[in-house]
Amino acid sequence: MKRFILAILIFACSIFADNVFFHNHWTLWKDADVLIWSTDKSPALDPKEFCLSLKRNNMGIGEPKCRLAGEWERDSIAVLYAGWLLANMDNNVKPEHLRARHPAMVTRIQSVEDKLVLFIGNRDGEIYAATFDENSAEPVAAGSFSNTGDKIALGDKIAAAFFDGHTTRRLSKAERAKRMTEPDESYKEIPGFQGWAGIAVGYSQAQIPLTPDNWYSSHTRSRVRNYRITKDSASLWNFIEDSDPQMALYAGGTWYGFIGAELMYRYAYHKVKTDDQDTIYQELSYWGFHQHEVGINVVLSRTYTYTKWFKTTPFAFIGFQYSFFVEDIGLKDDKKPHSKAYDVRIKFEDSYKGALVGIGNHFIFFKHYGLGVRAGISSRGRNIEEDPSPDAAAEPTTIGSSTIDCFINLGLEYHFSM
Amino acid sequence: MSILCGCSQSYRWNQSHPSYKKAPEGSIAVTGLDEAFVVTRSSWFAKKLEISKDSIQTFTSNFCSKAFLEELRKAYASVTVIPDAAINHFPEESQKLDSRIFMKGHLPEQGVVVKDSSGNVPPYILIIHEFILGTDLQREDFYDYALIHNEAPEKKTSKNLSAIVSYTLWDNEKQRPLYSAVNQVDQPNVKLSLADITQIVASSVKQIKRNLTAGVQ
Repeated sequence: MKRFILAILIFACSIFADNVFFHNHWTLWKDADVLIWSTDKSPALDPKEFCLSLKRNNMGIGEPKCRLAGEWERDSIAVLYAGWLLANMDNNVKPEHLRARHPAMVTRIQSVEDKLVLFIGNRDGEIYAATFDENSAEPVAAGSFSNTGDKIALGDKIAAAFFDGHTTRRLSKAERAKRMTEPDESYKEIPGFQGWAGIAVGYSQAQIPLTPDNWYSSHTRSRVRNYRITKDSASLWNFIEDSDPQMALYAGGTWYGFIGAELMYRYAYHKVKTDDQDTIYQELSYWGFHQHEVGINVVLSRTYTYTKWFKTTPFAFIGFQYSFFVEDIGLKDDKKPHSKAYDVRIKFEDSYKGALVGIGNHFIFFKHYGLGVRAGISSRGRNIEEDPSPDAAAEPTTIGSSTIDCFINLGLEYHFSM
Repeated sequence: MSILCGCSQSYRWNQSHPSYKKAPEGSIAVTGLDEAFVVTRSSWFAKKLEISKDSIQTFTSNFCSKAFLEELRKAYASVTVIPDAAINHFPEESQKLDSRIFMKGHLPEQGVVVKDSSGNVPPYILIIHEFILGTDLQREDFYDYALIHNEAPEKKTSKNLSAIVSYTLWDNEKQRPLYSAVNQVDQPNVKLSLADITQIVASSVKQIKRNLTAGVQ
């Protein structure tokens, strides 16, 4: 940790003391081959010392090799470009303003393969530095550094400014040739399939986190009087408890590790919120609804592999569902005559159709065993397959036509791939 | 975004270097005048100006070149003319002005200064790449790469006399393009005469000078 803070401090200081014009993302090779290119009579950097600076600055750089770019120093076109580059490096320029234009120079830069070229020049007592890689004809990083005449200090500053960060191992020639002949996953004739099945427990409630209470309070505080009377019947949460545990079963799969589908079934039990002050309920033993939901989701996901035995697959889903509420009611003594209100008690629609949307993550251990967590919002509305009747305006509103809740659940999963 | 804007394309027609801090005043060098001038619909021009079809290109090219230089001499106290040959041997390159606008032209090599006939090094060189004279021209038809290959039906309208000029202000000391642009001038066409051509070339030069000043960062 100390070392990390120190590194940040050194880096910050080096930025303030000297001037980095731009520093784009580039691949820093492990065991890098660094060519120091300068047209000055005596270069401001010493290759051997610079290699040591690199090692001091970046532990991950391995065993770098540094040498002077003799071939570049002797080439007349490169000399012209070097002079031009030194004259044009400035605080306000972008990489494209420093692009090499001569075709021969462009070819030269693009043929460095996985070496790194570090240009060093002395202009008006300041040291200007720029780095090149093979991917473009413009510098990937450039900056100016104060010249104290101390080659080691300058090497440290340049190493800290440009050669920091993650290093990548260079592939050998044989590895590269093999990589070239490997087929591209995306062009497979049979797409890779990853499937899963799981069982989950969870919890749902009407109030969506981070939204105000008063959006829901009229529904959640409502009580049912006389077996059917509530203030409002748009949401089923006027009649039944909204915050209850739930259980879910699901199975699905993705193709190309990206797009997929999932079937799901969810179950919950909600008690009816009877008004305790209403004496009519004295005859009632229990009253609730079993909620069964079946649905299908479209899943978009991406898998990240961390180790051989652990990977995660974050996903987002959107789908639709049918909800069925099955009444479960019992009186204390069935033989006694019950109230009239019991016979004309509230009835829900046969089915509701709704949508659900959410995000989640599969944590997969040893390729097959998974832990899934997901959260989302689901709705239940009127079944729109029925045509509205001509006198729809005169009809009472459909009970529960806008029943929304949010849910979170945690599941045990089995994963497989084909 | 580009899909939304697809129907009403708007372009950026100039590009300044971040180090373009001061427009040239007093003296300027110019090059490209020998070969930049092109006339479209040459037979129409030949007929209107009563010049033979064979010599219309050469004639207008010389005529416009002279008119251009004359107007430039009015705008700047000292104008040095550098022959095209001084930069024509450099490879032709594209300069990007906008996502779809590219202008082509010869630019001096990096690290090489261009000298005038007496061996001096002018600090600024106005490089005229192309000067197109025609009727009812639209610059996007020539410089938008998505449109240049369109085979539009040949236009026979001549409401306006148009001049399109692409140019670069070259920093000869540091060998960088300070300001590059494509300008278009339209001038109502009543009855074509040589005076009209002089006038449109003159307004083009005035516009170039205005833009060079406006382009300073």
